[in-house]
Amino acid sequence: MKEIIRTEGLAKYFGELAAVHAVNFSLKEGLFTSIIGPNGAGKTTLINLMSGYLFPDAGRVFFRGTEITKTPAHKRVKMGISRSFQIMNIFPRLTVFQNILLPVLSHLNKNSQAFSTLGSQREAVEETEKILNEVWLWEEKDSPAAALSHGDQRLLELGIAVATNPQVCFLDEPSSGMNPIERIKVLELVKKLSAERKTTFAIVEHDMDVVFSLSDWIVVMNRGEILAEGKPDEIRDNQEVRDIYLGEEI
Amino acid sequence: MKKTLMVLILIAILILLPLFAGKYVIYMTIHILLLSLFSLGFNLLFGYTGLLSFGHAGFYAVGAYACAKILLAAPSLLVGIVGGVIFAGLVSLLLGLLCIRHTRIYFSMLTLCFGMMIFSLAWKWRDMTGGDDGLVGIPRAPLEIPGLLRISVAAMESYYYIVLVFSILAIFIFYRLVKSPLGLTLQGIRDSETRAACVGISVRNYRLISFTIAGLYAGLAGALLPPLENTVTPPVAHWSHSAEPVLATLLGGIYTFAGPIVGAFLFYIIKDIIVRFTEYWLICLGVIVLVLVLGFRGGVVSIFSGKGGTG
Repeated sequence: MKEIIRTEGLAKYFGELAAVHAVNFSLKEGLFTSIIGPNGAGKTTLINLMSGYLFPDAGRVFFRGTEITKTPAHKRVKMGISRSFQIMNIFPRLTVFQNILLPVLSHLNKNSQAFSTLGSQREAVEETEKILNEVWLWEEKDSPAAALSHGDQRLLELGIAVATNPQVCFLDEPSSGMNPIERIKVLELVKKLSAERKTTFAIVEHDMDVVFSLSDWIVVMNRGEILAEGKPDEIRDNQEVRDIYLGEEI
Repeated sequence: MKKTLMVLILIAILILLPLFAGKYVIYMTIHILLLSLFSLGFNLLFGYTGLLSFGHAGFYAVGAYACAKILLAAPSLLVGIVGGVIFAGLVSLLLGLLCIRHTRIYFSMLTLCFGMMIFSLAWKWRDMTGGDDGLVGIPRAPLEIPGLLRISVAAMESYYYIVLVFSILAIFIFYRLVKSPLGLTLQGIRDSETRAACVGISVRNYRLISFTIAGLYAGLAGALLPPLENTVTPPVAHWSHSAEPVLATLLGGIYTFAGPIVGAFLFYIIKDIIVRFTEYWLICLGVIVLVLVLGFRGGVVSIFSGKGGTG
């Protein structure tokens, strides 16, 4: 199976703390991958490094064999790498519709058009309507994003992340702060999107039931390093993984 | 539909104004139009892109001085105004490259510094700018396209129409701009710069575009000034002049298209009324802005459109 993203000896330090240390990570195309690990394991930092939100102190990042270690985030998006954020990051003053339209325009390279109206961007508008339906936000399309409920904002965040039609999409705790029912709903949606779109998803998630039922591949991180990776069954039986979760049922 | 009708009525009133209004009202209206253009451009940066500039009087001054120098050398109104705008655009592009590397208070301080540098140049570079005397005797040159037309604008009423045409054109272009994909992109950057970068937007490039357009509008307002006043003096570059679009925009409303225009109108009306009673009119204006900012974050426009602070 082809690797879509690969890192070599990736490291990021915050002062004395090694948030990510010598990580050789690879993401295989088409495999729904979950990155798990205790708090502070370096999961978010790893996503930040791969999406260009942060640059590494050492090591390299490759996208389909091309080195992108120093490529800024906005150029990586154009190559096909997208992400969502753990802490809500939407465009609060824009309407829900505009929140999706903006990344769609970006994907179509239409952002700098200064004299056409938004309504005349047929292709972008149609794509936006399609995505709004996919993430169940059609009814809310004219509300300001800030007025949505927390759960709907998480859905919107997901919509923004897929609106650039990425080849690979990192979702940093897409269901954080949701109740168990919403949580299952949003993760089912992610699964559905991953089946319908040609996007490889990699998610950070804390709910182990969800992780083990959804994932094709699981990467376990601890203290900035990759502790183990494999299919859900292999991870379930891994003693080291059980130890870091303090004997929790996983 | 209702909005279009209101705009058309407003334009009709402005066109007919010289028929029933005196010189003073015309003069005031020209100044309101200039501050409107100045504030609109400023608000592209502030309300739409989320960057507060305290130095845009610098670009206003560049437009004004450039236009004045051109008119003193070659008396053609169109060349003077267009030249002033282009020159202001170039200077704002160059300074923008330096300023947009920072955001928030750091950006504001940088613009303040560059604005004051331009003020110092205007004050000290006597050979070029006339120093504290400024440039005087600037002709209200005729509007001339060689071989095609030549319109004298020596009377203030005639010049008023020149300003009106430039203003309506510039405001129309601005309207198209903020309703376009570019306008949406700038608002996205304002709302969340990290999110914008992570959907593929080069935040710096778009900030620079916004900065330059704001500079062009300040330059246009500035370039329309010398033919009116026949002089340009350094205070047009002073930071206190940079505060005028800030106040006008806060008065009118940051997150609405018409906010800065309404604000510019109110700014002059309030000033005109209060100075009849006290020379300390800025104190009164300050109180009014304070009340608006504390009570109606969306400015006067939001009170009437019923949108509150959300715009």
